[in-house]
Amino acid sequence: MAKPGDALLFSVVRGDHRPWLLLLNAAVATTGGLLLPSALARAVDMALGGTFVLVTVLWLLLLAGTEIIGDAIGIVLAATITSRATAWLRRRLAQHLLAVGHPSPFAAGDAVSRMTGDCGNAGGVAVTLITLLVTAVSSAGAVVALALLDWRLAAVFAVSVPLAMLLVRTHMQLTADDVLTYQEVSGEVSARLLDSVSGLRTIAAAGIADRETGRVLQPLPRLAAAGAGMWRTQAKMMWRAGLLLPAVEVAVLTAAGFGVLEGRLSPGDVLAALGYAALGMGVVGQIPQLTALERTRASATRIAEVLDTPPPARPPVVRGSGIALRNVSVDGALHDVSITIPEGAFAAIVGSSGAGKSTLAAVLGGLSTVDSGTVVRDGEVGYAFERPALLGATIGRSIGYGTDADESQVRDAAVAAQVHDVLIRLPQGYETPLADAPLSGGEAQRIGLARAIVRDPEVLVLDDATASLDTVTEAKVDAALTTALPGRTRVVVTHRPATAARADLVVWLEDGRVRGTGTHQRLWDDEDYRAVFTGGE
Amino acid sequence: MRFYLSTLAGHRRGVLILLGWSALEGVPAFFGGKLVGTAVDRGFAAGDPLAGVLWLLAFAALAVAGALGQRQVFARLGDVVEPMRDALVTRVVKGVLNDPAHRRTPDASAVAMITRHVEVVRDATAGVLVQARALLVTTVAALVGLATTAASLFWLVVVPIVAALLLFGLMLPSLAKRQRDTVMADERTAEASGAVLTGLRDVAACSASDEAYDDICTQINRQARATINVAWANSLRATVIALGGFAPIVLLVACAPPLVASGRLTTGAVLAAVVYLTNSVNPALHGLARTTSTVVMRLMVALTRLQEAAPPADKEDGEEIPSNGEFVLRDVTFGWSPDAEPVLRDVSLTLRPGDHLAVVGPSGIGKSTMASLLTGLMPPDNGRVLFGGAPVDRVLPEVRHHAIALIPQETYLFTGTVRENLALLAPWATDEDLLHSVEQVGAKQLLDRLGGLDAALGHAGEGLSAGEAQLLALARVYVTSASVVILDEATSHLDPAAEARVERAFARRDGILVVIAHRLSSALRANRVLVMDGGRPLLGTHEHLLKTSPLYGQLMLAWDPTHHEETPLPKR
Repeated sequence: MAKPGDALLFSVVRGDHRPWLLLLNAAVATTGGLLLPSALARAVDMALGGTFVLVTVLWLLLLAGTEIIGDAIGIVLAATITSRATAWLRRRLAQHLLAVGHPSPFAAGDAVSRMTGDCGNAGGVAVTLITLLVTAVSSAGAVVALALLDWRLAAVFAVSVPLAMLLVRTHMQLTADDVLTYQEVSGEVSARLLDSVSGLRTIAAAGIADRETGRVLQPLPRLAAAGAGMWRTQAKMMWRAGLLLPAVEVAVLTAAGFGVLEGRLSPGDVLAALGYAALGMGVVGQIPQLTALERTRASATRIAEVLDTPPPARPPVVRGSGIALRNVSVDGALHDVSITIPEGAFAAIVGSSGAGKSTLAAVLGGLSTVDSGTVVRDGEVGYAFERPALLGATIGRSIGYGTDADESQVRDAAVAAQVHDVLIRLPQGYETPLADAPLSGGEAQRIGLARAIVRDPEVLVLDDATASLDTVTEAKVDAALTTALPGRTRVVVTHRPATAARADLVVWLEDGRVRGTGTHQRLWDDEDYRAVFTGGE
Repeated sequence: MRFYLSTLAGHRRGVLILLGWSALEGVPAFFGGKLVGTAVDRGFAAGDPLAGVLWLLAFAALAVAGALGQRQVFARLGDVVEPMRDALVTRVVKGVLNDPAHRRTPDASAVAMITRHVEVVRDATAGVLVQARALLVTTVAALVGLATTAASLFWLVVVPIVAALLLFGLMLPSLAKRQRDTVMADERTAEASGAVLTGLRDVAACSASDEAYDDICTQINRQARATINVAWANSLRATVIALGGFAPIVLLVACAPPLVASGRLTTGAVLAAVVYLTNSVNPALHGLARTTSTVVMRLMVALTRLQEAAPPADKEDGEEIPSNGEFVLRDVTFGWSPDAEPVLRDVSLTLRPGDHLAVVGPSGIGKSTMASLLTGLMPPDNGRVLFGGAPVDRVLPEVRHHAIALIPQETYLFTGTVRENLALLAPWATDEDLLHSVEQVGAKQLLDRLGGLDAALGHAGEGLSAGEAQLLALARVYVTSASVVILDEATSHLDPAAEARVERAFARRDGILVVIAHRLSSALRANRVLVMDGGRPLLGTHEHLLKTSPLYGQLMLAWDPTHHEETPLPKR
């Protein structure tokens, strides 16, 4: 049954020439391996004959050497193929997730697990397939070798082949469901753990860690059941394989024994027959590979799911001076919003929680797309957020992120954002790795501001980006922004009346609609407007 | 590692049963060579086909027993591995959730990493149990079998095997290092992609897709190189093991002719020896080379990482019972380290039921520390935080958690119904209680939009805005019977109107309300204000502080200059 990920797996295999090298190497090593039992038979017969023959021993050594060296090369080749394929998948996935952009339909934790886990699984597809192919070829070769020894041996062996095929077929169907269930439940536990981890302080203060542990672990029985199911299937397969292999061996050995009795075969040939029987049944020993193939397909399906999600269409921006929205609607957040912010103006967006302020801010700068309506604006937009995600290797880089700003530009932006003094006190200053920098919410906010400033944008959108700053620091940041970026259009989402009072224009949102526009002083006369800030006190 | 072994020991019975079945699985290896050799020697080659067939049937019977053992081994594997995985997950989750000292809480990628490590431990344990066990059982059985059939060749066979194993052991350290590098590269890949994927909004805002892609690619490519490095080491190791496995066979056939010629070695013995080596010892050695060592290495690294992610919690619970509902702080001082400037210095204050305290001050000054001290999450360095006369961190946990409720800025919502989320701290609350508290904090509209108490919430309050999530967290505490409520910037995502409504609702409850203020308007509603500015904190009423504290005046002025024109300073 074809899965959505199969086409992806095909392109993984096709994209590299190394699988052909691995195949070639495997061909040589397999040939050596196929000749080995007969060489061993000759050597044993030589030993039993009581005379030492150098050529026989050398031939044995040559074949063994071929097999051993081939295996050694195979290990490196296989790892190279798998790791390159994994890297290729990861890069593709990363590229696509970045193209889909924000907001992403895939939760961050889930996307990371697809990137780390699933790509690793799917990257092994070429090696898994080649291993299966080589085993099949070597099994077929073993049957031919048996036939060359004595056609009766091959005939006896051939009886077991349909049985082996049956075994392989049932296994594919048996494991797939358990593997998928296991992966799903495991993801569910991770998601629950992530929930609880974000609420760690609540949990600690309420002393409910044990109870919440229980909540996180709720799906565990299902996980264990799926896991146990996988082992049971495995056991069933091992049992069948464990019976089949000796049964075939005994059959072949008996046939070979009669060959010895009638003088057609030597005692060494008995060993060769045993060796070929084992080689021929090698395909049955590939059960773990089949599980791996199943897992590979499941993982590829999860990757394909991401790759098949088309990036949202981003309609070209209509150029114009300042910013204007015409009849803009975003499902569930904004309804028929039309506003005009003149170039160079300072606009404040105010409104109660859930009024659509952040969505409006995102739409203004093209961060998210609109469902209907037109957005007109000119020039680059710089964003700063209430909770910025800081990215990049070092603190300095996190400010210059996405730009080629040099050290002094980064520093100037940090000064303007009132965070320079904090950063120079870090262990390695601006070079401190982001992961090693203990930052408070307010410090992160100011770095986020610096990141917006360093881009020197035409339009600056601050989405509650100073909410964690006390009012004194906020006022300083505000003054510094005016100096650092004079004459730029500035849109600020705010809860603070002082900020709204400084704005040239206030856009007052209510339930996703524009309730009013004008100056703070004029709107202040409206009791409902005052209630946005004071709660009707 | 100790935990892992003790968990395995906890399933000792399962492990013992597993080993018991392994012994059965090893039976064919022990007798196999001998029976095949005898079948040829005394049966077919001696012209007695019946004896030959009978010996082979005996071989078949043993093989069936071996297969039965193998079946049981795999069936039992689930009994050992799955409970072990359960125990491991339970312990890690418990460790993570029980660690309030986590200053840097694990993020999405850290959680993904935990999941992967647990899976590595599961697979590796199964791998070790299957491979290492098989190696041990089969090799020992085959070598003993060999010693009993061809004793004169025993040392010839054993020396290369032992030499290969020794060499293999010597290569382990370099292999371990490369293996560790791979795991580290794995983690960095997860970190780099985790950072970008959780920050997609910011990547878009910075138009930094290219840089984000480059950052991830750097780690992805490093990881690929590390994997190939390990493969080289593995390849060398596999060669050594393969040589060690094959050399005995060549030595055997090379040295056998004179012994056979002189009659010291029978045909059966030579055949048996070769069968032992090719059918039992060699496959087992290959199994070792291919998986076991890598698996053990991965297992060790994963266990160490899990240990770091979830250090064992060993906190001692207090047993004091508070005598009343009063909070007394006496000369409390607290700093993050002995050298650092204290966050709190000499705070003394008494809170009685009915008190409403607002804590104000510049951001990053350590106002949250107050909340942690009051809830007993941390003890003070100096001075005492007494609740009902007892040090709050020594109060019996059940009593403390019942009486004191903290609502932090970051909300905790989990997947489940709205009811489950709201009743988290008060499982006994009726639907009416819940609806009442929802009404009180102003979340009625939100609840209606969600579809009532039975509505399902996704992970981490998916689909809710930060403010809406905070409203639910507030209603959750409102419904409890806590006599002390601490709002630690718990209304930071609400608009001022909603914030005021919430604070007033909590103030109407009996008991003590402490508001770690996000906005200065909170101070206007409190009957006492604690001003923190890094020095010695100031305590007083709003009016008193306006007169005495320049900092407080400055904070208030900056808060709303428009008010300044009509009324010089905001009044309560």
